[in-house]
Amino acid sequence: MAHKFPSDEWVKAVRELLNNSDSYQRSAKDWEGDFIFVVEPDEEYADTAYLHLELYHGSSPGAAMVDPDNLPETEYTLNAPFSTWRKVIDGKLDPIQGMMTGQLKLKGNLMKIMRYPKAAQEIVACCAKIPTDW
Amino acid sequence: MEKLLVIDLTEKSYKVENIDPEMARGYIGGSGLSARLLYDRIKLDIDPLGPENPLMFMTGPLVGTSMPSAGRCAVSARSPLTGFWGESNTGGFIGPEMRFAGFDGVLINGRADKPCWVSVLDNKVKFHDAAPLWGQDTYQTQDSIKEILADPKARVACIGPAGENLVKMAAIVNDHGRAAGRTGMGAVMGSKNLKAIAFRGSGKVHLADPAGYKEVVGEILQTVKDDLSAQAFQLAGTSGYVDMATMFGDMPAGYYQVGEWEESSNLSGILLAEEHLIRGTSCYRCPIVCGRETRTVKYKVDKVDGPEYETIASFGSLALVDDLEGVIYAGHLCNVYGLDTISTGSTIAMVCDLFDKGILDAEQTGGLEIRFGDVEMSHRLIEMTAKREGFGKLIAEGSAALAAHYGVPEMAATVRNLEIPMHDARSFSGMAPVYALSPRGACHLQGDMYGVDLGMAPATELGIHPGERFENSLEKGQTTARSQSWRSVYNALTVCHFMNPGASKIQRALNAATGWDYSLDELMLSGKRIFSLKRIINHNLGSTIEDDRLPEFMLKGFSTGGYARF
Repeated sequence: MAHKFPSDEWVKAVRELLNNSDSYQRSAKDWEGDFIFVVEPDEEYADTAYLHLELYHGSSPGAAMVDPDNLPETEYTLNAPFSTWRKVIDGKLDPIQGMMTGQLKLKGNLMKIMRYPKAAQEIVACCAKIPTDW
Repeated sequence: MEKLLVIDLTEKSYKVENIDPEMARGYIGGSGLSARLLYDRIKLDIDPLGPENPLMFMTGPLVGTSMPSAGRCAVSARSPLTGFWGESNTGGFIGPEMRFAGFDGVLINGRADKPCWVSVLDNKVKFHDAAPLWGQDTYQTQDSIKEILADPKARVACIGPAGENLVKMAAIVNDHGRAAGRTGMGAVMGSKNLKAIAFRGSGKVHLADPAGYKEVVGEILQTVKDDLSAQAFQLAGTSGYVDMATMFGDMPAGYYQVGEWEESSNLSGILLAEEHLIRGTSCYRCPIVCGRETRTVKYKVDKVDGPEYETIASFGSLALVDDLEGVIYAGHLCNVYGLDTISTGSTIAMVCDLFDKGILDAEQTGGLEIRFGDVEMSHRLIEMTAKREGFGKLIAEGSAALAAHYGVPEMAATVRNLEIPMHDARSFSGMAPVYALSPRGACHLQGDMYGVDLGMAPATELGIHPGERFENSLEKGQTTARSQSWRSVYNALTVCHFMNPGASKIQRALNAATGWDYSLDELMLSGKRIFSLKRIINHNLGSTIEDDRLPEFMLKGFSTGGYARF
């Protein structure tokens, strides 16, 4: 069944895939630090959405689409317009290339994330596996 | 670009020449202008280590100004390592100081009858006896000369024992650990009995349009603040790329024959920062601060310059070494002896491979078992190479010569006799033509398609867009060609490749500094002209289209690792 992006069920599906991914668990075994993915409006999407993904030692304890007035404190936020997220999830834009070229805007401890590029890649790989209704 | 200091070491004399303004405009400076000035002199019959091989130090038109990251200096000659066009460039402060001392470039001819060094202090040139310095390492030499000149702010470019002993991969070292490492320029300097050249000046660089220059430099500085790759280099130096390079398969392992080597993780630049870093260091007016000053407790060295990513990969993963402190110390030994870390590390890794395959054994190496994973052996071999002792004599000739000596030239990871740097072309396909066509032999500074495809070095106004890294297409080839031209401009400007504010800002800075009226198209044409001229020099030196290829074994794919899709 396809999940709408962005939505609560979509980010929960990501969580489930991460928790079943051996390669993610290996590559992120020491990682501590939650993310909020901010989906910004553009010509394809009119709203702003916030997807919270908890990440701890190779697993994802929780995931939810959250209310902008009640955002949890996270170590990282990653912002991009809807169409850019679509390119990333469809595998048409490498997330590192996206960050380096400013298409994805990262806030948080850059040094720490540079130590775990493979974990970031595994998250994107899980996102790409989710049947998505755009 | 006006004043060229021409030194004759044979006669111990010098003169000042004016550079033809049209030539300066057409070839800009750095290695571009050097290629044009040396074109008539670098011929097939000259010995790279003979007095007739001219050695050129050349700055660029933005060097010594407020332009950030534009303090580099190119060094060029016929390479004793490759036999072809040789160029290397170094950061630090030596380039700006040369201009403050009154010269845009220095051409060194002839050969001194005994070791000497030269000081250039505010237009005053003096020859000194280097007998007391001969045998000193590069750090000692720099410190000794500053003491002799009674000026701690003098900038010294010098050779160490490797250059004195004409080791083919000898570097010229300045500002302690900054080096013009590639293509053996240190050996050329050693062949001239020139231990060092020191600069100190109080002059200023003239700008054609100071107000316009200030404006564009302000804009450029602003782009650095927003540049994520610049931030990453500032946080972790070039070594911060280790984890990402491993993931992409860009950082080679086991002499390019191991597809996935997870131990690379132990060489992480983040670990380096957490456990060994003293501070970040920068070149002249550089806000990026990618240099690292580290320490190693295990080897009892309190101050090491580096290691950079290339050094970590050359002495680390390429030789299947995951001992970070051992790698730090290997880099330090190369700095003090005056050796190029890429060529030295790569040649040692090749020897490990020859041992592994049974082509070499201990009988041929004076009893040494040279195996992958043995960093202490690398340390020993570095010293033997610098001193040309025992088996070190063969390593001192470089990978191509060593492999040919044992009848296996196909086993050297070289292009045009220069060791391939630590970006595997199977990870970023654009690097394959970059290496194959690069005028100085395999080189990641003659076009950096790995950086382009990572999004770190795009120049979208010039059609240099990030793309899919495994793409093999006409479009990728065209992007690569544009990247080669653009980086030829950078190498002529002597601007660091980590400074990428956009092509038009570079163009505006160049025009404001010089009064020239370059359009972007014409600037790219200059890049093509420079790139082509260097290849013509190689053609004159006997290079053919047969040299424009990578070793066969480096075109084989792997089933695992970051380049499994190659």
